[in-house]
Amino acid sequence: MLLYLCKRLVLAVTISVTAVTLLFLMIHAVPGDIASILLGPRATPEMKAQLYQQMGLDKPLVVQLATFFGGLLHGDLGFDVFSQRPVADIVLEQLPYTLELILASILWAAAIAIPLGCYSAVRRNSAMDHIVGVMAVSTIAIPSFVMAVYALLIFAVSLRWLPAIGAGEGFADELIHLLLPSFAVGVGWVGYIARLLRASMLETLGENHIRTVRAFGVSEWRVITRYALPLAILPTVTILGVGIAWLLSAAVFVEVVFARPGIGALIVQAVNSRNYPIVMGTVLVTTFLIVIATTVSDLVNAALDPRIREEL
Amino acid sequence: MEGIINNIDRRTLLKGGAALGGGIIAAGMPLSQVIWAAEGKVLKVALPMELATLDPGFYGASYEVNVMNCLYSKLTRYKPGSEWGWDLEAAEQIEQVDPTHIRFRLKKGIKFSGGYGEITAKDVKFSFERIFKHKSPDMPDLGSFDHVELEDDYTGVIVFKTPYVPVWYLALPYATGHIVSEQAVMEATKDGGNFGMKPPAFSGPYVLADWKQNQYTLLTRNPEWSGPKAGFDEIRIVPITDIKTAERAYQAGDIDFATISLDSLATFKSNPPPDTKVEEHSSLRIIWLGMNMDHPKLKDINVRKAIQWAINVPQIVDAAYAGYVNVATGSIAPGLIGHREKALVPPEGDLAKAKEFLDKAAVSDLQLTLDCDNSGIPSIIAQIIQAQLSQIGITVQVNTQDPGSYATIGQESDGDRWKDLQLFIRNDSSLPDPSYYMGTFVKAQVGVWNWERFSSDRFDELNVQAMAIEDPNERAKLYHEMQDLMEKSGAYRFLTNGATPVVYRTTKVQPATRPDGVPLYVDFKPAQT
Repeated sequence: MLLYLCKRLVLAVTISVTAVTLLFLMIHAVPGDIASILLGPRATPEMKAQLYQQMGLDKPLVVQLATFFGGLLHGDLGFDVFSQRPVADIVLEQLPYTLELILASILWAAAIAIPLGCYSAVRRNSAMDHIVGVMAVSTIAIPSFVMAVYALLIFAVSLRWLPAIGAGEGFADELIHLLLPSFAVGVGWVGYIARLLRASMLETLGENHIRTVRAFGVSEWRVITRYALPLAILPTVTILGVGIAWLLSAAVFVEVVFARPGIGALIVQAVNSRNYPIVMGTVLVTTFLIVIATTVSDLVNAALDPRIREEL
Repeated sequence: MEGIINNIDRRTLLKGGAALGGGIIAAGMPLSQVIWAAEGKVLKVALPMELATLDPGFYGASYEVNVMNCLYSKLTRYKPGSEWGWDLEAAEQIEQVDPTHIRFRLKKGIKFSGGYGEITAKDVKFSFERIFKHKSPDMPDLGSFDHVELEDDYTGVIVFKTPYVPVWYLALPYATGHIVSEQAVMEATKDGGNFGMKPPAFSGPYVLADWKQNQYTLLTRNPEWSGPKAGFDEIRIVPITDIKTAERAYQAGDIDFATISLDSLATFKSNPPPDTKVEEHSSLRIIWLGMNMDHPKLKDINVRKAIQWAINVPQIVDAAYAGYVNVATGSIAPGLIGHREKALVPPEGDLAKAKEFLDKAAVSDLQLTLDCDNSGIPSIIAQIIQAQLSQIGITVQVNTQDPGSYATIGQESDGDRWKDLQLFIRNDSSLPDPSYYMGTFVKAQVGVWNWERFSSDRFDELNVQAMAIEDPNERAKLYHEMQDLMEKSGAYRFLTNGATPVVYRTTKVQPATRPDGVPLYVDFKPAQT
């Protein structure tokens, strides 16, 4: 297990370094000069030069990259010259909002999809199974931002049950502000998880050990929840881990639509204004987050299935 | 307490929850507003971007200035209303002594928060001079500013190297005119530089009580403020980058004043949310079609003139803006010194005349590119122009790109893209002085922001002269001539100055704006109920 964790740590660092280097090169290949965008029409060449110097953009690309990674060793993601704040502070302030959005989205998706997937498998080929199938494909087909806009129009604008924007203040308020955005992100996953779980459950329910359990007269409810579901849910757990990346990209749109703070909103602003240090810092953190999420999903799988645990 | 808790069973809890939920929903109030309904008079508004700095000497965008107006005093301030003008704010008296000297006398008793004492002329001197000492990007607002001479604690003279009339509208009532405490800033920054989002002291009616990036900015009353009492106890500002989201936030009741998009104006007017008033203000923007005069295909003035005359501006205004904006007569917006009554080329153009110019140029099968950003309306305008130019046999290929890339397409410092640039749509914001508009078109800006590469010695000469003339009528004549020169070059077809529609809840707020719809929160008053 320790060896496994070490391997994953090395992998996490390698992936993060590769992603940030690629991003760095892409940022500098894209047209658009930060000084012109931020200083506006009346910026003189001297002002631009000063901004380049403040941001370290006057140095060769290799030096800029080395400086960035050098800073990382000391936990320094750079400095935002506009707000006069360390990038790490800015990114870490926004991160919890995105994490809570992702977590709540997963809860929404799991809470809706797991019962639906189980029901479809148990009542295979019933009318309800077909309805769930159609609904599942529909939720996959609707992009998160479309769901976000409609959820907002219905529940915030028309019914006025829930707030339209922001993240709220205090636990209860934050929870209320989380309902609509997390639903918009999570519902897109309901279809995937329900279909995946249905297929997995059907396979598990047909296996010999389930037949044996049934032969012992164990109730159907117990067969499903105690014996079939823990095995059938394994692929779903893996998908949830990998799906953090998908949820992060969905969160970008949803954070803009709901004017929520978070990594997504931060990255959109930073890319538009070509604020390189913020873009780099944000991507580094999200990359690391994705690697950690996949590692956690592997560990959860191991906890659920002794065969995987032995392999680790 | 334990007894009470023990007596609550599941049924009681569900009943109670249902009653509470039902009550809240029936009252039509969002849950968050029920739980966190603030005490006192609270103004809830949106900003189009998150604040990057609250240092007036280093501001980056106009919306930051809207917040700074609440936090610091200035010598003068813009008058709310429909005509441009200014009033005294921290200054008791201010006068142009001669073309390069402005004498001011401060009101006594205006204090900085945090025990930093009274505002003195020394603070004014520090506030202006630090902008140059630290080479702030905002130096151009103060033009040829040199230094401030102190006469006594409350009196000083602002000295310019050369006459600079625009200071009255670009600097004194705007961002760089705000006064910060020398002692507080020096303590906070050591060298007097940019303090970013950590203002060390306030001199306005409000203080920054809390700021959470991308979440909210909270302003509360400044207990040490001795000036006229502002209307609201608190101002809660939410950053909303997408204007459509701001509209929905307004409809949902989360904000009480919002700038809305022009394409939503018709809907808001025909079907306004309850207790809502829609106001249409003019705008300081200028949107125009530019032509790169150095491009081989556009070097011939007859080709450029053919394009000017083939474009029907009212048609564009109707199709792209549903007729809610003006037809521009030049680059300077209505209401400002130098605004022209009419353009040289009639707004509707003339296809026959356009064809004549094209014949004179002896070109056929002309194929051109038209670049614009992908922010919505510019690409619609581009498509209309594409259709209009096809009527005289010019084929146009429209290229749209993200605003960040587009912003530097005509700049020599950003590679060779400027060499391929042919036609383009510019959509620039401005401040209420004609010099702000004209600075873009001087020779020194060729290859920087002057993407037309328009180059005129006469224009540059007039530009310098116009900065020094105090008489508005005389000044206006120079700006008229400058716009004539631009138009005669054939490189410009002025389209519109845009408009700024705003909505507000009449039961909550009586807003106050500049003539261009920019909110002056300090002057907002709670609605009379």
